[in-house]
Amino acid sequence: MRKYIEIAKIYIKAQLVWRVDVVFNMVFTITKILFAYLLWGAIFGTKTEVAGFTFYSMLSYYIISTFLNQLDMSSGISNEISAKIRNGTFSKYMTIPVNIEKYFIAMEAGVVAFYLTFDFIAAIVWIYIFKIEFVFTTNFVMIAGALLMILLGLLFMVQLNYYLGLLTLKYQEIGTFLMIKNNIVAFVTGSIVPLVLLPDAFVSVMKLFPFYYVTYLPSMLLIGRYQNEMLIGLIVIFLWCVLLQIVIQVTWKKYRRKYDGVGI
Amino acid sequence: MIGPNGAGKTTLVKMLTGIIAPTSGKISVLGYYPNDLKNEFKQQYAVVMGQKSQLFFELTAEDTLRLFKEIYGIPEEEYQKTKNYFINLFDLKDLMNVQVRTLSLGERMKMELIVALLHNPQIIFLDEPTIGLDAVASKQIRSFLKEINEKRGTTIILTSHYMDDIKTLCKRSIVINHGCKIYDGDTEKLFEQYQKNKKITLTFDLPTELPELEYELELIEDSPYKKVMMVSKEKTSELLGWLMKFSPSDISVEEEEIGTIVERIYMEGGRAFA
Repeated sequence: MRKYIEIAKIYIKAQLVWRVDVVFNMVFTITKILFAYLLWGAIFGTKTEVAGFTFYSMLSYYIISTFLNQLDMSSGISNEISAKIRNGTFSKYMTIPVNIEKYFIAMEAGVVAFYLTFDFIAAIVWIYIFKIEFVFTTNFVMIAGALLMILLGLLFMVQLNYYLGLLTLKYQEIGTFLMIKNNIVAFVTGSIVPLVLLPDAFVSVMKLFPFYYVTYLPSMLLIGRYQNEMLIGLIVIFLWCVLLQIVIQVTWKKYRRKYDGVGI
Repeated sequence: MIGPNGAGKTTLVKMLTGIIAPTSGKISVLGYYPNDLKNEFKQQYAVVMGQKSQLFFELTAEDTLRLFKEIYGIPEEEYQKTKNYFINLFDLKDLMNVQVRTLSLGERMKMELIVALLHNPQIIFLDEPTIGLDAVASKQIRSFLKEINEKRGTTIILTSHYMDDIKTLCKRSIVINHGCKIYDGDTEKLFEQYQKNKKITLTFDLPTELPELEYELELIEDSPYKKVMMVSKEKTSELLGWLMKFSPSDISVEEEEIGTIVERIYMEGGRAFA
């Protein structure tokens, strides 16, 4: 375990080198909040409620889901693995005594821990500046459930991107897979439009898939909604993590012999 | 391991370290099948492969060493002792807290070797360890490797195109060509037996014409200011004595290249195990 903590620590340290990126990342959270402020301001107009949301509960949802979306930085993993398999530098993970998947999970944990701090500060600052009456549940069970769901959601996203990266062993080029994944994730996680605004049948289908539980449900839980979905949500996302882990192991076992380590 | 480009040297290193699996035949290193990628096996070897660096370029070498200490589960006291031993050996004290990307190629290779040797492996595989390095850095790397072999008992398996690397470091040589072993034996004997010629290069300040040469040699270049010739090892000193009469401004004598030796072994009957 200590080796993975050290991997996380070294990636936290590595983030410090790119301080300007961090500042921009913080500053640009405002664009999303500003967009949401103007858009929903126009939609609400004189109405006090839309689909059961008040203007401020909608903004609170946006701030929380934006915050969670910013935390998921796992998409870099698929690109990194893909590039390393193609240029032969993936060998360096195969020759040291670590579990490669755990290495990438630890790496992601380091990056997330770093950005968590700064994104949290950014969110607080924007709430204060926009004088948003922030809606946040005080129910401890919901907070704990949401946090656990966030952890499982982040783990699932790392697993998914790790798996997509591994597909390079078979397909060489995984750009199409990544594009499909990115579009699905952007839509289905509810980061573009809260899923509550979509048809019930569509949402019911989405509940079977993991993305619903990555940012959407935790965000709703944190603003005090959908407590009845919490337990089943935790079970579904957990089962997806288990399933994906099995798929990863089968894929690795089947295709790792295709790795030739050639490149640079 | 010696051989021309594409001979299969790096492929063999990859098989020995488990990066790739052999398509046929058997392979065993320290009693393990390398491609099983068992952590117990990985604890016992290290590999340094040119561009496949283990260093974090945006951080310091000290950071990478600390990470590898945890990866290999090295106790703090042993870590400090080993690290300081290598730092002193290479005289790298002032560079440990410098960003890796600012280091020169030679300094980076030294750091790479320290990272690889930190857990005191039984075997270290080196793929072209001195490629791209200047003469001074190459020499330092060679003496460093010699010392860890002699003092720490680490087995070194290296691939190289450089005669100096092979002659200085290797008692045993394996020559590979087209994926086949064509020589496996004593390095001295290899060169004695197959390094038959030397290359002599002469430069002149004034245009010079050599008379009909009495020696059996191959004239590679014959211009007014420069002559390059290949001559048998036995005749080299005698020829040099004769050439001095023409007052050359510079003379260099080089060993025959590895590629030529490999070609000769191959031509003279393929498998020539000593």
